Amino acid sequence: MTKAIPRIGSRRNGRIGSRKNGRRIPKGIIHVQASFNNTIVTVTDVRGRVVSWASAGTSGFKGTRRGTPYAAQAAALNAIRTVVNQGMQRAEVMIKGPGLGRDAALRAIRRSGILLSFVRDVTPMPHNGCRPPKKRRV
Amino acid sequence: MSLSRSPPSPLTLAAPFATTAGGNGGRHQLLLPHRSWTNPNLAASTRVGGGASVRCMANQRRVKMVAKQIQRELSDMLLTDKVLQYAVLPEASLGADRYLSSLTTISGVEVSGDLQVVKVYVSVFGDERGREVAIAGLKSKAKYVRSELGRRMKLRLTPEIRFIEDESLERGSRVLAILDRLKEEKKSSKGNDVKQLEPLNSSEEDGDGDMDDEDEGIIYIK
Repeated sequence: MTKAIPRIGSRRNGRIGSRKNGRRIPKGIIHVQASFNNTIVTVTDVRGRVVSWASAGTSGFKGTRRGTPYAAQAAALNAIRTVVNQGMQRAEVMIKGPGLGRDAALRAIRRSGILLSFVRDVTPMPHNGCRPPKKRRV
Repeated sequence: MSLSRSPPSPLTLAAPFATTAGGNGGRHQLLLPHRSWTNPNLAASTRVGGGASVRCMANQRRVKMVAKQIQRELSDMLLTDKVLQYAVLPEASLGADRYLSSLTTISGVEVSGDLQVVKVYVSVFGDERGREVAIAGLKSKAKYVRSELGRRMKLRLTPEIRFIEDESLERGSRVLAILDRLKEEKKSSKGNDVKQLEPLNSSEEDGDGDMDDEDEGIIYIK
């Protein structure tokens, strides 16, 4: 007897990202954040709205193996798999941070058939702002 | 006492000297496994009375920690230091606004047992000319890098730095590309569209087994 209430609230909020299959993005941006212990690969559109992401941790690696270049490569492949099916041809890559993931993720992206238009390094660089953490004593 | 703990042979040969000409060398060797994290770098050769210099080998754990720290410092230097960046990528000085033609990464660091020689494996992503320019630039700045490292890290003797080009990542990528191509050819020869989804899963599992062979080429610092 009770009628099911149609859930249209999500569309009314303006969150267009819920309609995943509708978007065709020919050009996007791939952000690679490569720290020493992990690599996070995020695929967004040109304006910066996230389409999909994957990290070495979510790709089935745990602990110290997340920081290895093979894990970075697996994360990159996982992240762009959904986007390649949606038909993304060109991408710009933004790399952040030191770490082995920089090189490995780039090579994986190039191997997958997506055309790399630009490679940028966007590591945050303070103009001498906050005090960095103390030096590690070895 | 110390004879049972010290693996390298020069020390065991020189042990009589150490015990006769002052027990400090022997006692340091005993303390090393327990308090290695507070001891300063014991890589300096200690002068024993007869003039024969005894090289102290730091223990393996400390060597690994120093290697990891050097990797962190060098990577940080590559990102922040202006001199190094201009050496690796000359067009950065023109204000290219971070649009890179080549990307240099420190893929591994190997430190010798006495912490005197450091081999830095550098991997460059880019075309042939960019790679040559980057490696040549780094090699020309080896002395500068050594002095910067000495300023940043507290070591008794700053090690000599050698830059070596690391091709293992490139090789691994080539092998994986060939494997992917073979899988695509095999699957397309079967001529089924539904089966295109399956190779993506199986190629990852096969990739795990194959990467173990390439792991030996890639140096992981754990």
